[in-house]
Amino acid sequence: MAFLDCQRLAKMTATALASLKERASEFSALDAETGDGDHGTAIVSAMTAVDRVAQEGTNLKKMLGDMGFAAMMESCGSTSTLIGALFLGMSDGVEGDSLNAAETAAMFSAGLEKVKQQTKASIGDKTMMDALEPAVDALVANVENGIPTMLQAAAEAAAKGAENTKEMVAKFGRARNLGERVIGHLDAGAVSTACTFEAFSRGFTAAV
Amino acid sequence: MKKFLNDPNDITAELLEGYTLAYADKVSLMSEKIVVRTHAKSEDKVALVTLGGAGHEPALSGFVGEGMLDASVVGDIFAAPGAPKLLEALKALHRDVGILLVVLNHAGDVMSANMAMELAKREGLNVRMLLTHEDISAGLETPDEDRRGLAGCVPLFKVAGAAAEAGKSLDEVYEIAERFSKQMATLAVAMTGATHPQNGQAISELPDDEMEIGMGQHGEAGGGRTKILSADETAQKMIEPLITAVDAKSGDKTMLIINGTGATTLMEMNLIFRKAYRVLESRGITVVSGLIDEILTVQEMAGFQMILCKLDADHVPLLKAPCNTPYWTVR
Repeated sequence: MAFLDCQRLAKMTATALASLKERASEFSALDAETGDGDHGTAIVSAMTAVDRVAQEGTNLKKMLGDMGFAAMMESCGSTSTLIGALFLGMSDGVEGDSLNAAETAAMFSAGLEKVKQQTKASIGDKTMMDALEPAVDALVANVENGIPTMLQAAAEAAAKGAENTKEMVAKFGRARNLGERVIGHLDAGAVSTACTFEAFSRGFTAAV
Repeated sequence: MKKFLNDPNDITAELLEGYTLAYADKVSLMSEKIVVRTHAKSEDKVALVTLGGAGHEPALSGFVGEGMLDASVVGDIFAAPGAPKLLEALKALHRDVGILLVVLNHAGDVMSANMAMELAKREGLNVRMLLTHEDISAGLETPDEDRRGLAGCVPLFKVAGAAAEAGKSLDEVYEIAERFSKQMATLAVAMTGATHPQNGQAISELPDDEMEIGMGQHGEAGGGRTKILSADETAQKMIEPLITAVDAKSGDKTMLIINGTGATTLMEMNLIFRKAYRVLESRGITVVSGLIDEILTVQEMAGFQMILCKLDADHVPLLKAPCNTPYWTVR
């Protein structure tokens, strides 16, 4: 039975950071089609801050809270606030240093709730929520199957959610003024979120 | 993209360093990315704070100084500063009479500000937040939350700053500023797109023979693409919806601003102002205060924002009151 602890979480963030860095220019290019083209820089800078804290953490709850604040200290617009809110919320949803499957799902659910307090966007609005919400839903739905399977299901759901943004009209952020001109473009935030969950899944399995 | 840069990651810190060195008698860096007045306002007066990304110089830090802003919290290029940074500024400026936080309606800025307000409340700070959303490109029927805050924040800083300097209470400053905010409208037009200075990517591309009315201050689209029109035609096409938006009628007093977005010359802007002024005049609407300048720019974007503010009797003296900031001075 696999548990989620500080060490595994640190491996997950490190893997996510490496993947996001590799694809940063792809995210910026996607963002440039509908926004101002800095999402690659923004997500890498937020996740660099998150990972820096993760590598030093020993208390899971405190570590997640510090990760959230560190992300928010990065000046990268809504990305830093949303990523910060995600980890702050995850911190709120955690007790103890070693989480079972149900506790891991509860942690991500609490993170999603905190993000929802910051953005009114929901599924269908062509934002990172199109990947984040399905990912967390998949975690919850797979609680019986253990953490590795949950994370894999989350990664698949996030990828599918990101792909769905292609046909959507944006309702939030700078893209909303483009109207139907954004149809055919993937949302950069949804794609980077899918990339993050895919890396979380790999990072968790690779740890230990 | 052709620019004088060092490491793209250091742009914001370096520009603020240069700026505060040049105008050291007016502005200083309180800490990284927080610009404050060099001569602090007395604590019995309401403080005025704003936030926003870099890349729009002179906005927003250009208007920190006596009679306008007390602090500007700066994010990276086109990006909101984080909520903890904003909280740091609010704590530093804390005073019993309160702080007015002016936020331009952009998703990232609003999120940071809301989160900072939540944290400030927990600290027991007396802060009120005013959101500006005077862009009319999405249509007059569009809800406030879907209308962007554009360069109209700058005359709003002037009015609110003068009210605060005059010793008005937080509620009074808020009321005056909110009324001013509701009575202004802005429309932007672009002829060439901007580039993001950190990665050199074009934010938007416009064909050589087209312009776009309604393009936002980051080069985000606005919907109204047309073939390039003459200065007079463009001015007419823009001032008319603005008059409707602020409901200006014969006998009303207004402020008219042409704000260049970086690559349009003052010469062109003078032509635009002239025509807009004449249209207002023909309807019996008086321009008591005019401004043709670059107050909020977007990296080498050619175009301008036209701002029309309908003024109440108390707004006129506030606009004329003394102020001493690097980019707006009244003696």
